[in-house]
Amino acid sequence: MRTSRRRLWIIRIAAIVAIAVPGQVLSQTAAVRTSAKSGGSVTHWSVQVDRVEPGDRDIPHAFQVAIYENLVQELNKTKQFTQVLRERDRKASEVPNLLILKTTVVKYAPGSETRRAVTTVSGATKLMVRTQLLTRDGEIVLDRTVNGNVRFFGSNLRATHNLARNIAKAIKQSNLTMVRASYRDTQPPTVNADGTQ
Amino acid sequence: MYRLFVLRENKSGCGGGHALISLCTLLLCSGIGALAQSTAPALHANAPFSIRATHVLGLPNTKTNCNGTLSTQDNVLRFQQSGKPVAQVDIASVRDVFLGEESMQVGGLPMKIGKAAAPYGGGRVVSLFAHKKYDTLTLEYVDSNGGVHGAIFQLKEGQGELVRNELVARGVSSSSGEDQPTRPSTAEVTRENK
Repeated sequence: MRTSRRRLWIIRIAAIVAIAVPGQVLSQTAAVRTSAKSGGSVTHWSVQVDRVEPGDRDIPHAFQVAIYENLVQELNKTKQFTQVLRERDRKASEVPNLLILKTTVVKYAPGSETRRAVTTVSGATKLMVRTQLLTRDGEIVLDRTVNGNVRFFGSNLRATHNLARNIAKAIKQSNLTMVRASYRDTQPPTVNADGTQ
Repeated sequence: MYRLFVLRENKSGCGGGHALISLCTLLLCSGIGALAQSTAPALHANAPFSIRATHVLGLPNTKTNCNGTLSTQDNVLRFQQSGKPVAQVDIASVRDVFLGEESMQVGGLPMKIGKAAAPYGGGRVVSLFAHKKYDTLTLEYVDSNGGVHGAIFQLKEGQGELVRNELVARGVSSSSGEDQPTRPSTAEVTRENK
């Protein structure tokens, strides 16, 4: 009886140790991670989205406004930035670590929803923009060319939504702190949102 | 001879009728002019104005692609969905108004499913005719912090001009609010109609 009771106690203690120790270790590593984050090693950026510049393309105003609005929305969704501000927002002057997102239309092919519905293969609305993230000093942190198309379903303005999503994805994929550090040595490469040159 | 005479007489009778018709036309034209004059001050008098519209995007706390009533009252532009809170923009904060044109497929999702289900490519033939032209009204306005916002509305063909005129009458700048940048899409629509 005594030996079985001892065994039972030993098993209980072993079980408690097995449960408690890894949990403590995990919590310790998590604490280290959070302290590293709060220790200032990661810069928390805010972004100010500028209006879309049409460049030398005849792009409808509705498209420019739709890209701008969708960009603000998609950047908010990524939670990559502390604050997402709009152009001429007075709060921008008080925000530290502010990046400015500039978007210029490089290519615009107006499509047709009817042609897409009838032929499937033609009538795509295609947008290509050059998107740049700059610091207040004008230093380029990120420079990408991003596409946004609508090929099959949806209205022509859906291309702006796809474009904004691709821009947000491109910004999310690029580690901003790393990009900024490497910019001093080399110019950032110009690649598409899908990673192709 | 007699016959010729009778004809001439008839012509002279018609001349009187012509005079009467021209008099009526003159009165009608002047009446229309008077009506136009009487409606012009109504715009300036901040009379309520409302029109059915689809909110495409941009207004705060409003769903995208939803139908509602776009109205102006007391220097405020309002968009009201049925049973939903009103989204409103101060007309004084509207910096620019742009008008565009877009051709879209009608019927929404049910129509799309029906077209996809139609055999022998029948859906494509339906698509060829099931499209409609709309006016797109694009507004640029600023919020209380000075941040630039944009809003896009879709209206029935010809109604965009009415809303723009209404906003212009209420003091919105229309200097850069021209249709020029929408020309490619318009040209594309005309090609499509050919």
